[in-house]
Amino acid sequence: MIIQQLVNGISVGSIYALMATGYALIYSLLGFSNWAHGDIAMVGAYIGFFAITASIFPWWVAFLLAIAGAGVLSLLSERIAYRRIRQNNSPTMFLMIAAMGLSVTIQNAVLVFIGSKFKTYPQILPVKAIEIGGTFIGLIDLISLGVTVVVLGLLFYLIERTKFGLAVKASATNMQVASLLGINVDKYISLVFLLSGSLAGLSGVLLGMKYTVYPQMGNIALKAFIASVFGGLGSVPGAIVGAVVIGLMEVFVAGYVNAGLRDLFTFALLIGVLVVRPTGLFGKSVQDKA
Amino acid sequence: MKNYVETKSIQTKRSMMKSKKLVLIALALVLLGGMLSGCAPKAAKDDGPIRIGYVGALSGETALWGQAGLNGALLAAKEINAAGGILGRQVEVVGLDGRAETTDTVNAFRRLVTEEKVLAVIGTNWSSLNIALAPIADELKVPVIATAASNPKVTVDENGKLHPYSFRIGFIDPFQGQVLANLASNTIGAKTAGVIYDVGSDYSTGLSQYFEEQFVKNGGQVVSKVEAHTGDNDFRAQLSVIKEANPEVILVPWIYKDVALIANQARELGITVPLLGGDGWDSPELIDLAGPAIEGCYYTSQPSFANPITKPFYDAYMKEYNNLVPETEALFLRDGLYWVKDALERAGEVSSDALRTALENTTKFDGLMGSMAIDPATHNQETCLCVHLQERRARMVR
Repeated sequence: MIIQQLVNGISVGSIYALMATGYALIYSLLGFSNWAHGDIAMVGAYIGFFAITASIFPWWVAFLLAIAGAGVLSLLSERIAYRRIRQNNSPTMFLMIAAMGLSVTIQNAVLVFIGSKFKTYPQILPVKAIEIGGTFIGLIDLISLGVTVVVLGLLFYLIERTKFGLAVKASATNMQVASLLGINVDKYISLVFLLSGSLAGLSGVLLGMKYTVYPQMGNIALKAFIASVFGGLGSVPGAIVGAVVIGLMEVFVAGYVNAGLRDLFTFALLIGVLVVRPTGLFGKSVQDKA
Repeated sequence: MKNYVETKSIQTKRSMMKSKKLVLIALALVLLGGMLSGCAPKAAKDDGPIRIGYVGALSGETALWGQAGLNGALLAAKEINAAGGILGRQVEVVGLDGRAETTDTVNAFRRLVTEEKVLAVIGTNWSSLNIALAPIADELKVPVIATAASNPKVTVDENGKLHPYSFRIGFIDPFQGQVLANLASNTIGAKTAGVIYDVGSDYSTGLSQYFEEQFVKNGGQVVSKVEAHTGDNDFRAQLSVIKEANPEVILVPWIYKDVALIANQARELGITVPLLGGDGWDSPELIDLAGPAIEGCYYTSQPSFANPITKPFYDAYMKEYNNLVPETEALFLRDGLYWVKDALERAGEVSSDALRTALENTTKFDGLMGSMAIDPATHNQETCLCVHLQERRARMVR
C-alpha cells in the first residue's frame, strides 16, 4: 500500500506544483501573493469545459483555449488593477488586498453568470488505471504528471537559458536598476502574469479532468500557496519541491494517521516553517530570486 | 469676543450631540419595542393571505436543492390558490436564503417569524441546520417543518425530550441506516463492508453509525472505516486503505457531487464492488457527473419522482420552469405545503398553535411522497425507497 500511497501523493502534489510555481513567479517579481491565482485556474477550467462540450474543436484546441483564456485574464488583472497600484507607489499590502477583491469578484461573477452546479469534463479518456504489481496508476494521473513535468521543464529552460528569463531575473532583483539598463520592466511584468495565468489555466484544466468544475474549486490554491511558502516564497524550484512534499504528506496522514488531522498537519508545517526557517526550504538571498 | 464665540459653538455642538444621543436612544427603544412585539407571533388579519415561510440554500454549493424547494413551494401555492386556497384564504410563500449556514439560517427563520409574520416555516434539508432551528421554533412558537433533514435530533433533543414545534416530512437516519444495512445484507448479499464518511457532517457520521449497528446485527462486519472532509477532492488515500481490507460493499454516505468523485477514484484504484449510499445521492445530476463508475450501485432515498403518482406535478413543474428537471426537494416542499393545508383544514382555524397541534395529530396524510402518519412522541414517520442504478438509469428495487 505504501507504493500506492506514494503514487497518490505525487499525483496530488503535481497539481499543487503547477499552481505553486504561478505564485512563486509573481511573488519573485512584485513581492506579493496573488490570491486570485486559484480563481484564474477556475476560469481556465470553465473555459476548457465549455470549449469541449461545445464540441466544435478537438479536445486539445479546447485545452489550449483554456490555457490562453486564463493567461489573458491574468494579464488583464495586472493591467486593470495591479499596474495602477504599482505606479501609485502604494505599499505591497494594497496589491494583496486588490488580489483578494479580485478573487471574490471572479468567484461571484462565475456563480452569477454560470451558476453553482457541479460540472464534469466529458470523458476524453476512459477512467482506466494501469496496474503494476498491485499498484494502480490512473491514466489521467499519468498524463497530467507527464504534462506537468514537461511544462515545468520548459519553465526552467525559459528562466535559466533565455533572454526573457534573464530580464525577469534582473527585474526581480532590482526593478529600478533593470529599467535603467534598458529593460522594459512593465512589459516583463505583463509577460510574467500571462505566463503564470497560463500555468493556472493548465492546472485548472487538469483539475477539471481529474475532479469536478465548480465556482469554489480555486480554493485548492491555498494548499499551493502553503507549498510555495514551504519551498521559499519566490523560488520556483522551492515551490515544486514544497508542493510534492505537501501532496505526499497529505496522502500519508490521510492513509496512515487520520484524514481528519490532515489539514492540521499541513498548517502546522506552515507555522513551523515560518517560525524556524522563514525563508523556506529554498529561500535564498534576494539576488537569486525567480 | 472670539473666545466667547468659540465656547458658544462648543456648547451648541455639545447640546446637539446630546440631542443626537437622545434621538438614538429613542430609536433604539422603538426598534427594541418592535422586536419584542414581534416575538409574540400574531396571526395575520383574517382576510389576508396565509403566509408560509421557506428557508433553504438559495445560493452556494447546495443551491440546486434550495432553489428547487422554493420552486416547488411556489408552484404548490399556485395550485392551492387556483383550487380555492386554504379555508377560503389565499396562500403566500415567502422564501429567504439560509446559505446552508447555521447563522444565516437562524437569522432567516427569525426574520420570517418576526418581520414577515409567517404562520409556519418549511425547510431545510440539512440536519445540522434544523437541529439549530428546533429550539428557536419552540421559543418563537412557530412550527418548522424540515424536509430531508434525517437526523433524529431534529425533532427530539439529546435527552429524548420532544421539540414540540419541530416536524419533518422525510424519514430519520436510524431508519434509513437499517434499510441500507438490510439492502447490503439481503439484496447484495455482502458479509463485509467498508465505510468512507464525512467527519464534518452529522448526517454522514450518523448514517454510517446506524448502518454499522444493523449490518453487524445481520451478521456482517465492517472491515474498514475511514474519514474525509467536505470540500476534499481527492479521496484516493482513504480509498486505498479500504481497498486493502477488500470489503464486498462500500458505504458512501455523501452528497452526489462527492459520490461522483469517490466512485471514479475508487474505480481508478481497481475497486469494483458496489457502492451504497443514502438520500444524498438522490439527484438526476449523479448519473451525469459520475458516469459509468456508478453503474450497479444502490441507494436509499425519500420517495421521489421515481414514483409514477408524481407525474402530474413533475409535468407542471417542467412547464412552469422552462423544462428544468425538478429535484426531489421540490416534491418535499409540495407535500409540506399540502400537509400544512391538510392540518389547517382539520384544525378549522388559522394560528401557529392550532397548526402545530394538527400537524402532531396527523394520522393519515396522503402526499405524493406516500402516506404519512406522525408519531406524537417523536414526530417521526417511516417511508423509504430503494434504488438500483442500472444502464444509466435509476430503478426502484421494491
